[in-house]
Amino acid sequence: MIFKSASSASIQAIEGERIGNVNTLNFIHENADMCWTLTLEHIGIVAFSVFLAALIAIPTGVAITRHDKIAKKIMNGANIFMTIPSIALFGLMLPVLSLIGHGLGKVPAVIALIVYSQLPIIRNTFVGIKNVPPELVDAGRGLGMNGWTRLREIEIPLAIPVIVAGLRTAAVMNIGIAAIAAYIGAGGLGVFIQQGIARAYEEMIMTGAIMVAVLAIFVDASMALLENILTPKGVKIGRTLGQ
Amino acid sequence: MSKACEKAYRLALLVVLLAAGVLLERAGLIEYLSDPFEIDYTLRLMGQHIRMVVVSMVMATALGLMLGIIFSRPKFKRYTGVIMYVVGLGQTIPSLAVIALAMSFLGIGFKAAIFALFIYSVLPIARNTLAGITAVPPWVIDAAKGMGMSASRILFQVEIPHSMSVILAGFRVSLVINIGTAALAFLIGAGGLGEHIFIGIDLMRYDKLLAGAIPTTLLALLADYLCELLGFLIIPKGLRLQQET
Amino acid sequence: MTNRIGGLVFVWLIALALVIAPIKVMAEKRIIIGGKNFTEQYILAELAKILLERNGFHVKLKIGVGSTVVRQALESDQIDFYYEYTGTAYTVYHKQSDRDVMTHKERCYEWVKEADSKKGLVWLDKVEFNNTYTLIMRKEKAQELGIASISDLSRCMNKDPGKLIIGVNSEFWERPDGFKPLMKLYGFRVPYDRVKKMDSGLVYKALKEEKVDVSMGFATDGRIAAFGFMNLEDNKSYFPIYNPAPVIRAEVLDSYPEIRPILKIITKNLTTKEIQKLNATVDIEHKQIREAARDWLKTKGLH
Repeated sequence: MIFKSASSASIQAIEGERIGNVNTLNFIHENADMCWTLTLEHIGIVAFSVFLAALIAIPTGVAITRHDKIAKKIMNGANIFMTIPSIALFGLMLPVLSLIGHGLGKVPAVIALIVYSQLPIIRNTFVGIKNVPPELVDAGRGLGMNGWTRLREIEIPLAIPVIVAGLRTAAVMNIGIAAIAAYIGAGGLGVFIQQGIARAYEEMIMTGAIMVAVLAIFVDASMALLENILTPKGVKIGRTLGQ
Repeated sequence: MSKACEKAYRLALLVVLLAAGVLLERAGLIEYLSDPFEIDYTLRLMGQHIRMVVVSMVMATALGLMLGIIFSRPKFKRYTGVIMYVVGLGQTIPSLAVIALAMSFLGIGFKAAIFALFIYSVLPIARNTLAGITAVPPWVIDAAKGMGMSASRILFQVEIPHSMSVILAGFRVSLVINIGTAALAFLIGAGGLGEHIFIGIDLMRYDKLLAGAIPTTLLALLADYLCELLGFLIIPKGLRLQQET
Repeated sequence: MTNRIGGLVFVWLIALALVIAPIKVMAEKRIIIGGKNFTEQYILAELAKILLERNGFHVKLKIGVGSTVVRQALESDQIDFYYEYTGTAYTVYHKQSDRDVMTHKERCYEWVKEADSKKGLVWLDKVEFNNTYTLIMRKEKAQELGIASISDLSRCMNKDPGKLIIGVNSEFWERPDGFKPLMKLYGFRVPYDRVKKMDSGLVYKALKEEKVDVSMGFATDGRIAAFGFMNLEDNKSYFPIYNPAPVIRAEVLDSYPEIRPILKIITKNLTTKEIQKLNATVDIEHKQIREAARDWLKTKGLH
């Protein structure tokens, strides 16, 4: 509100455009509480759907390591879903979900995010477990472990960094898709962009765009850190030795 | 056992298709599209959509290849890591944000949409070109050098063909994302199939909604499939065999 | 072993949260206000929110969707009330087209009030300003072509159909009181590629950036005056009357009858001039909606 004192409203509009960037910071400052609420909402939607997606995808990924043929089919299927543009998927689901009264809002958004998360998580779980060195699995067998124990004690712990990498891909992608979900009334940071466009309010659009981008980059970086922390020390040493 | 599975699978597919058909009819899509006026308009929107995708993809492919090749040259090799990091960062920025930002700078309409799609599509292509070329085994290049090939011949006859499958994978991702993002271009006044989708959501008109969502989906699936076919054409046969085994 | 216990505790906590959450929701006086996707709706909802909150309600806003969607949300109990316009309800939801009713303020209001009461929806007192649709042009362009009314536009379009580009939002294009029947009444046609459909907020921007030559607008929008646009006169009085009024679900009103007098404060005080000014402060000066609403209530000595 730097130009509050200017007498003519249209002059204000013109000046406002010229100093758009300063105004964006102003906007964020003045709407700090709204920024927080929407960011939290955004994180909530993404975290919740990635959590649910992991509940489906990780077991699937583990299960298909034992059946290569089915594995290929399932991953192809997940890939097809991944190809569907997000706004089109919302559109396709809307009439179906309207039958149970949830065509708009958070429900279709979460479903779509779960669908899109399947491929990266399944693929990484599969690859992660497949890449566990066979010697280690044999060693487990030698210790008298049965299939389940080997999976729990050897294969999954060793695959965890790769699985987390899959979760990371899914989370970053979902942050972008959740922004689009504002158009079906799911809330989140996309609301800034949607309202900004609807009200021709540049600073609001910029705020939305920047905050979504920053959130995606932040989540990407922190999950990368997590990936690093979760990699067992032995594996890291093994990698450096291997080089 | 597997035969029974196959049969069940086919039956399920049939049931799903039937249900989809009934749903489409209930949603009024069939009626909507039997109006010649409306189908004409839908085709026009699809034309806009495809035009946006093609124009932006041609530019993006050209720039992406160029960037990828330039930064894989020995002179720039030390920047490779930085470039990969920046490009990766760029790819985390959501498509809606890119579209909205383009409007802030370029106003509304076709130009801003093309620009946003172009910028957004360059990244995967450049990244994969760079990754593909850097991954060509050094002994292959040494062999080419030993045969007395010049640097440019090595690039065009060894490095690029060798990294073709990785480049194509980048192109494919880029194209599919581009088609999806072009559906958002309606929001900044550039039309395209997104118009049907957003109007459908706004007015809860399922016929319109599906008349936009189904062609967009098919377009993306078709593009994905064509890229796969393209792989058979442009990836050298020897390398393909090598990959399969 | 500790791992497993930790996991169990986690799952248990989630289950607990799921059980507790709805109980907490039921404890307070909660109201959900809906709204459509343009500035005036945001302002009306915000005004109602401030007044209700002052009276001990916990208010949530669900704004920013198309008319049909918000109406469906009301009918399926997802929201408790929102501001609807009489002409919209008459033509869009009840699919009526009696010109005598829809261009008459009181008759239109009484008609929709009566019709909706059968659906368990109550129309509270209407606000007096009329936010009708209007066609707008840049002043210079209109003067250059000698267009002052929609009939003039019709004449110009018939002479040269490709000359002017029309910008509309999706809703206006499709509505029964929208652009298609308007062309019919005024006797002109616009080729498909000369109509640009866009988001409501973009139409003013498009007109300003000369991407379109004629566009739809809302009569109460402050940008029409500020951007140097002019309204084309609706000389065949095509457009219905659009008085906004809170439409509330009967059961909600029964449980909280105090809502009626609370909302009356807005109804009594908001005139055409004032809403135009409010819209302008938000759209042009980019004042925060909440702030603008609060300031207005203060000037009225209501806050």
